Amino acid sequence: MTQTPDPSLPPTPRAIRKPKELPLDSDTEDFNMDTDSELPPLHLPSASSLLTFSGNDELSDLTPAQLYEMNQQLMNDSVPTRPLIDAVAPMSTLRSEYENGSAAFLNEIDWLIANGYDSVRRTRGDGDCFYRSLGFAYVESFLSSLEKDFAVASSLSILSGTTEIVSRAGIEKMVYEDFYEQLVSLIQSVVTPDSHGLLLTSERLLAAFQEAEVSNSIVMYLRFLTAAQIRLHREDYEGFVVHPDTKEIMDVDSFCAQFVETMGKEADNVEIQALSSALHLNLDLAYLNGVRTSGVDFIPFRNDPDNMAKPLVLLYRPGHYDILVHNTR
Amino acid sequence: MGSVSARRLAKELREIQSEGCPVGITLVDASDFSKWLFTIEVMGNSQYQGEAYTLQFRFDAQYPISSPAVQFVVTDGKEAPVHPHVYSNGHICASILGSEWSPVLSVIAVCVTLQSMLASCKKKERPADNDRYVRTAPDNPKKTLFHYDDDT
Repeated sequence: MTQTPDPSLPPTPRAIRKPKELPLDSDTEDFNMDTDSELPPLHLPSASSLLTFSGNDELSDLTPAQLYEMNQQLMNDSVPTRPLIDAVAPMSTLRSEYENGSAAFLNEIDWLIANGYDSVRRTRGDGDCFYRSLGFAYVESFLSSLEKDFAVASSLSILSGTTEIVSRAGIEKMVYEDFYEQLVSLIQSVVTPDSHGLLLTSERLLAAFQEAEVSNSIVMYLRFLTAAQIRLHREDYEGFVVHPDTKEIMDVDSFCAQFVETMGKEADNVEIQALSSALHLNLDLAYLNGVRTSGVDFIPFRNDPDNMAKPLVLLYRPGHYDILVHNTR
Repeated sequence: MGSVSARRLAKELREIQSEGCPVGITLVDASDFSKWLFTIEVMGNSQYQGEAYTLQFRFDAQYPISSPAVQFVVTDGKEAPVHPHVYSNGHICASILGSEWSPVLSVIAVCVTLQSMLASCKKKERPADNDRYVRTAPDNPKKTLFHYDDDT
């Protein structure tokens, strides 16, 4: 079952990212920061700028946003973090993390549970969570398909066409082909035994996505495809691509180079629309915004020629994406 | 060495061998997939006329998803170019080597970017915090969290 926004309610916000809020990613929840304070924009460089080191060992000089970034970096470097993507867990594990926090989030989580979305598959909060979640949910959809052969064949045909998109956007074959192969061979193994004679199972899919080389290769191909789609359909996206921190409108090419073709940079509406469109996907984004007093907004992205095709469902909390799992799956 | 990393570097090397390096850039050593050396000269009028510098790339198993560790060689009598973004220990503060690295870039693309960074230099000087940085710098420049100020 899919919820669509109630037409009597105010329209769903189109700009999903809310940079003024602390990402509610469990990797960062221990980090205390005053979320009400206005964060000054980060001074990020432009694509070609070559810049100076300015003594960031002096922590007092850093803005809260820089401290936050550094904190994340330190945690990623030194502390064992959650797996790149985890096994399915009951929604109650997510709920327990909000029990001392916002009642609005609890209400939204309870609404999801009451409506059958009782589990979640969590991804690491490394800035690649959208691409990793989407990639996993995409491949998993073939495993659970009733017509595996047909679903895999259609997907491989679409994917094969995407290499054309990526090439036309100026990304060399040498650059994308290894990443592309990782994704394609995983999908092929849903119906055709791989080089070890094995068909893909849920367990093997999880293991593959937990292995950095396979997982990051797939993330990278999806990033290339997203950037290529935006560059080739720039008239659809110009005016909508904004710097994630300053919110200033950027030109399409700088935006793609700095925030799409680079690992660790979060995706927003534009990237989601571009990727779901390039893959001909239907996708729902369940948006926990901590504001709604009842229900949860499901933001629909409809790019499958079959409008009724079952959408992939991701859970979005400001700053983070996971996979939302319905109890009928 | 990860297989993606080795495959990608092998392809980059084949391309260098078949098409050659851009003018002013010379491959010195690429005998394995962990460390490559190039020399870089700035062609035409510049602060660095007639000078050649050695650039070292170190690759980990996650290349090209993770950036290469790139620095100028400062041993065996070699020196780093005097430049506002180059420390005297050879470390380079360039966003494309850190937060803006993308696998779209290649070893040669990095060489060309650094070559043009030198070419556009107006005044030969070290970064303001050179001495302090060099005193405490890690061996691997990737371990430094450089702060990039947009000075374009």
